[in-house]
Amino acid sequence: MKVRQTLLRAALAIGTATFAFSTHPAMAASHREAPITALDQKADITDWFAFVSPEHPDRVIMILNVDPFLEPSNGPNYFPFDPNVLYEMKVDNNHDGVPDVTFQFRFKTEIRNPGVFTGFVGNLAGIPAITALDGVGSEGLGLRQTYSVTMVTKSGSQVLSDDQNLFAVPSNVGPRTMPQYAQLRQKGIYTLYNGVRVFAGTVADPFFIDLGGFFDSLNMRKSATAPVLSAAIDGDDKNNYAPNALAGFNVNTIAIEVPITMLTSDGATHAVGEAAAVIGTYGTTSRRRQSVLGEGRGEAGTWAQVQRLGNPLINEAIIGTGSKDRFSMDDPINDKQFANFVLNPLAGQILASLGVPVPAAPRVDLLPLVQYIAPICPGCKPSDAGPIADLLRLNTGIQPTQPAFQKRLGFIAGDQAGWPNGRRPNDDVLDIALRAVGGILADPAKYGTPLGDGVNVSSSALQPTFPFLAPAYSGRDSVHQGPGQAGCALQPSGICPAN
Amino acid sequence: MKTTIAFLTILFAAQSYAATPAEMAIQQATANVAKQPDHAPYYNSLAMAYARRARETSDVAYYAKAEETLTKSFAITPDNFEGLKIKTWLQLGRHEFANALETATKLNKISPDDLSVYGYLVDANVELGNYDAAVTAAQWMLDLRPGNTAGLVRAGYLRELHGNLTGALEVMQMADDSTGLSQTEDRAWLFTQMAHLELLAGDVAKAENYATTALSVFPDYHYALAQLAQVRIAQTRYADAVTLLAKRYAAAPHAENLYALAEAQALAGQKEEAAVSFQKFEGQSLAETNLTDNSNHELIFYYVDHAGNADRALEVARREVARRHDVFTLDAYAWALAASGDYKAADAQIQKALAVGVRDPKVLFHAGSIAMHLAEMPTALRARN
Repeated sequence: MKVRQTLLRAALAIGTATFAFSTHPAMAASHREAPITALDQKADITDWFAFVSPEHPDRVIMILNVDPFLEPSNGPNYFPFDPNVLYEMKVDNNHDGVPDVTFQFRFKTEIRNPGVFTGFVGNLAGIPAITALDGVGSEGLGLRQTYSVTMVTKSGSQVLSDDQNLFAVPSNVGPRTMPQYAQLRQKGIYTLYNGVRVFAGTVADPFFIDLGGFFDSLNMRKSATAPVLSAAIDGDDKNNYAPNALAGFNVNTIAIEVPITMLTSDGATHAVGEAAAVIGTYGTTSRRRQSVLGEGRGEAGTWAQVQRLGNPLINEAIIGTGSKDRFSMDDPINDKQFANFVLNPLAGQILASLGVPVPAAPRVDLLPLVQYIAPICPGCKPSDAGPIADLLRLNTGIQPTQPAFQKRLGFIAGDQAGWPNGRRPNDDVLDIALRAVGGILADPAKYGTPLGDGVNVSSSALQPTFPFLAPAYSGRDSVHQGPGQAGCALQPSGICPAN
Repeated sequence: MKTTIAFLTILFAAQSYAATPAEMAIQQATANVAKQPDHAPYYNSLAMAYARRARETSDVAYYAKAEETLTKSFAITPDNFEGLKIKTWLQLGRHEFANALETATKLNKISPDDLSVYGYLVDANVELGNYDAAVTAAQWMLDLRPGNTAGLVRAGYLRELHGNLTGALEVMQMADDSTGLSQTEDRAWLFTQMAHLELLAGDVAKAENYATTALSVFPDYHYALAQLAQVRIAQTRYADAVTLLAKRYAAAPHAENLYALAEAQALAGQKEEAAVSFQKFEGQSLAETNLTDNSNHELIFYYVDHAGNADRALEVARREVARRHDVFTLDAYAWALAASGDYKAADAQIQKALAVGVRDPKVLFHAGSIAMHLAEMPTALRARN
């Protein structure tokens, strides 16, 4: 063997400190799940929701949450969207795993009070309280973001926000600066072309989970061994029996309300039993890429996807750590490469090791999560199943359940408008996912162990109307809820805990 | 006074014996292996350190050591992932490109987030001539870790092959910016590549600057010696080129290095020396012509340009093109076909190379000559421009 020129090209790849990449363990369900997204918080998708609106059953709501664990008091800049990130919502309507309708969101930042040390100020030094996003009452909004909405279909792209300024709603700084925050945020709901409504801004994170218990190797609070809930806890859709790690944290959201007719393949609405009623959705974040061959050469596009999210918990709880980044950055159409993670999930093997009855691999019972088949698509023939692709599938023909009647366990509890038929903010996806991995979709009688973490409801009060997520927690007055962390306001004496 | 001199002597001695990055890596890994002889990752580190030292010195003995060390790693933990990566690297070194591609593809399926495996996919595909697959793998490198040096270097070579020399220099500069100053050999390698690119772009002064910088960063670096020789040839300083290439051949006595020396000797008017070198080259090259790790490109050009033996050239070229269809193999094959009088077939092959976008002057010269023979003057002029 010689040491030749060709060899030396390869050689630079290894052995140099520059190339020693560390891999970070997955951090949290839907939040920071892949090594790359753990390092790129602004592009990190925390949750993806798609459901038929209980407010307007002829429309679909899609919500893309990004930027996890926002501490509400974290001034002075709080939580702007990243102007260098392209945020997208994608819809496959002909069951081939490839997006047919895409909504793109691009943000711009405006510094309006360059001499002031904080982005938001009100009721101070002659500056009025912030009560508006523009004009009178907006003087204290020193850091403001606008955004555009573009719809892309096979026939081209159309800016939906053509003639109006869309402002992102800032986080809730506190009662002096923003005394009427709920009203302020209502001003951030805009109606665009064809009745499409949008909202972008900071909200209370709707997700709920006992992260600490789950990631401490399933060291749950209410059961010594497997994460099995008692009948009483399992039956309580109103209270939590373990700390919700997301309580008190904000998140950035982009929400859109779209007529179903703008999403289906034929521009019509369809009944539950018709294949065309079912769409597959996912959200993505992308950054500008450096093209291998140089700008304008080769086939590489301008954008490199940083993350995608279809079904919750797929990447964090199913995909192996050595594949998580590729999964995040690849397209659903290429998901066959990850099929083994779904057909024989490690989480299922772990549950089995804890004594929970779990079906044997290959786990074809999990295929409804990644293909167009019953029960989500009862009208789909085998030829409609499409490729294995992680899409959040939504049967737009299934009527929405009004919030008061929604069940946290969604579809598997008979509330067919919940995950895995789309996903609503109220759906207890960890418990549903654990049970799905446990085999409940295969046979509820045989594999219906009541698995869960004991966190059954969101800590933020979800709203009955668009954009459905609760207003951001107040920077001055909010508390977190962790083990032993009651927060000052919750102490009977009003005296803060010593630690 | 005496103490001072003694101190200075020690200082200079220490400087002249300063370990190279690979030598330091070998020391470190050897110490780790001694401490824990049943730990496979330490053997992997040592194997890789030997492979790096092979690049630094061009001494093939280090490859044997790398392979032997890797065997120990696999004896402890069969088919361990890091070990298989080094195996791929060694396959590339042996020019077993198809095998390397197979191993790298398997590794990529096991851990699709591993950046260096994409690097091997790029390298194997480039050498085989699968440029689209190479670009795809390189794009994954840049997407997964924007700005990573290994990805930038691959992008640089692919840009060069596709004719984007400015863009290639740009990413090579970025790679250098993110390479630590203590990584002397890596930096010298990058400077050598930039010298090569500047020479392709026609800026001899800049090429000279980069080549001499490489030699100052890593003295007597064999790749940089050869690159500076190319600069000297461009400057018509043929005797200086001969000196540099003789030094390089002494350090790295491979057939293709002897061929470069022989050609320089011919240019310098050293007819007798050139004849001896060419003859020795033919023997050395023929001895390895059936191995994957061969000097068949040079052998083909030798038969066409210096020995006037088109049949032998074509025979070697056909064998080589059956293994790979990269632009340089296509070029050599085309040149052999032209020498045997089949200009039409030669043109078909060289057009495939040109379609990639390569702007190597030798390839362009061959393309122009072939086109002239086919009396397609516009093409000839275009290629020559």
